[in-house]
Amino acid sequence: MDFELSSTQRALLEALDTLLDRHAGTERSRELAELGAYDRELEAALREGGFEELFGAEEAGPLDATLAVERIAMRLGAVTPVPRMLVLPALGLEPPEGPVVLAVAGDPGPIRYGAQATRMLLADGPRCVLAELDPDTAEPVPSAYGYPLARPVSRKSRELGPGTAAAMMNWWRVGVSAEAVGMMRQAMDIAVTYAKDRKVFGRALGSFQALQHRLAELSVAVEGARWLVYEAAFSGARAESAAVAAAHTMAALGRVTRETHQIMGAVGLTTEHDLHLWTLRMQTLRTELGGRRGHDRAVVAARWGRAS
Amino acid sequence: MDFGFTREEEAFRAEVLEFLTEFRGMNGYFHRGTDTAYGVRQVYRALGERGWLSLSWPEEFGGGGLSPAYEFILWDELAYARAARPPMGPGLVAKALMSHGTDEQRNRFLAGLRRGRINFCLGYSEPDAGSDLASVRTRARRDGRKYVVDGAKCWTSNAHWSDYIWLLCRTGAQDSRSRGLSVLIVPLDTPGVSVSPIPTLDGGRLNEVRFDGVRVPAANRVGAQDQGWQVVSSALAVERHVQFPPKRLRRDLHDVLAALEDAGVAGDPVVRRRMGQLAVRVTEVEALGLALLGEVISGAPSAVPAAYHKLAGTTLAQDIAHAGLEFGAQQALAVGTDTEFLWRQTILETIGGGTSEVMRGLIARQEFGLRA
Repeated sequence: MDFELSSTQRALLEALDTLLDRHAGTERSRELAELGAYDRELEAALREGGFEELFGAEEAGPLDATLAVERIAMRLGAVTPVPRMLVLPALGLEPPEGPVVLAVAGDPGPIRYGAQATRMLLADGPRCVLAELDPDTAEPVPSAYGYPLARPVSRKSRELGPGTAAAMMNWWRVGVSAEAVGMMRQAMDIAVTYAKDRKVFGRALGSFQALQHRLAELSVAVEGARWLVYEAAFSGARAESAAVAAAHTMAALGRVTRETHQIMGAVGLTTEHDLHLWTLRMQTLRTELGGRRGHDRAVVAARWGRAS
Repeated sequence: MDFGFTREEEAFRAEVLEFLTEFRGMNGYFHRGTDTAYGVRQVYRALGERGWLSLSWPEEFGGGGLSPAYEFILWDELAYARAARPPMGPGLVAKALMSHGTDEQRNRFLAGLRRGRINFCLGYSEPDAGSDLASVRTRARRDGRKYVVDGAKCWTSNAHWSDYIWLLCRTGAQDSRSRGLSVLIVPLDTPGVSVSPIPTLDGGRLNEVRFDGVRVPAANRVGAQDQGWQVVSSALAVERHVQFPPKRLRRDLHDVLAALEDAGVAGDPVVRRRMGQLAVRVTEVEALGLALLGEVISGAPSAVPAAYHKLAGTTLAQDIAHAGLEFGAQQALAVGTDTEFLWRQTILETIGGGTSEVMRGLIARQEFGLRA
């Protein structure tokens, strides 16, 4: 057992950071959000950098791909790393150019980047359906939660083999949790820095024990989520590990949102401050896959069998 | 002990509900929509015409001389209807003028406040003085019969459409903390006052209000110089029963339930259990609200029941809103749905009007005598 990042993993994340310095971050995120746009430049850079092949690479693997997904979300990269770097490779499919989105048949959505996407992977019963989308006919849904949302319309589709839906859902759970972990870590970082800098009643905000304990508790929840996600990825997204990771992560996400905003006080409520760039996007993540309702049920189903 | 309202009070509630048929759906409580400042002012005027902005004012000041229970019923029903929040002017400002103002000030303001024709905003918080109000730095320097005000207030609600700001400012030495503060009434159209928006996550705005050599007549000072802390504290005490009307929560719960039903997930046992727990807590906060009202009626209100009520109520508001986004139902993310709006709005509630941390500290100090 070894919980340290390997030297290859560290090098990988450093290379990814360099790339994200150019193609992500708060300023670019605000610009793209204003336009409701998907970042094709970042997608191309990730492809050229070989990051989309991590999942199946001999010297890397699903855990490395998951670490990359976490980092991209942490830096607000406006792409769809979960389908591209986890779900499609897990199904043995090569990600096509342009945004790909994930959906469950019967769920009315809307979904992230639904209007920009050209491909959609749809879980329908035991099988996945890979659909080609027509971005012109998608129905955009205005949202205040960071991502452009829409209900996509598929043009033609092809069915994949039985069992593909389960693999898709499990990796999706791991992926969206990895994104959430990246965002939670960043939100925590902002709140901790503020607690150190902000003076109130003649002392640093963070010197109050009541706040110290709460930040410590949050940190426990986020670290727990992080390791559950890594373990689920390491184990190949077994149904139970994936569901447990997602259930815990989405519960932590609610607390992190509330507590980071609470610690920031009024300044964190303004659109001028950056905190909301993470906290609002996090709420979109928490609604995916049926939210906690879906994740909790998946835990029960994986552990004790589906309820009748 | 009697938890019920009197027959007269219930009759008044019926009148309020009748009045509200005209204003339902305008959403002035949250200032949603483009013309809400105008709309909210209309509500206040309509209330003023009925004498409902001065229900508990003593009759000598033109008020109804009624129990605070009437005010509670009024603002509780307006909160459920989402029509409006209690305005600062006829509540906090008027009551402070009655206890600390001069006759001239009462003559100048009370009639307009009672009729809903004058609107006030509160100039308390500053960039470096939020929870820690005693560190206010906006300075008022005495110059003959005027004060000259320099500084900036931050996070000021409603400053962009109010007539006056109720300004807490420093008249004593810079380090005099709560002993060197005074309250001035400043017309917002005075030269040197500028109001600029601070956009907030709920799509609304707070304001920055800057004062650049603003000359204010000394006759606009409320209470003695350097005694502003007393004015501000006593003014807060008489308004606590309407500050956070609990029926707002019942409405939140109903709205989120309706959204979950629309999304087809309300029948899920996971959802039902959670919403049931939230319904229990709504009832708890309503009980805390009544306990607080009882405290205000007793005439010697302590701050502790108000802290219980605000802490429990505002946290619950967030829990209800979070539940709306927690069970899937992604359509709730579309801009303007009640669920997503409540999520963005309720983050403000545990921070504005005294943060949860200030409330907890107050309970620890005043109820248990614990000191840092």
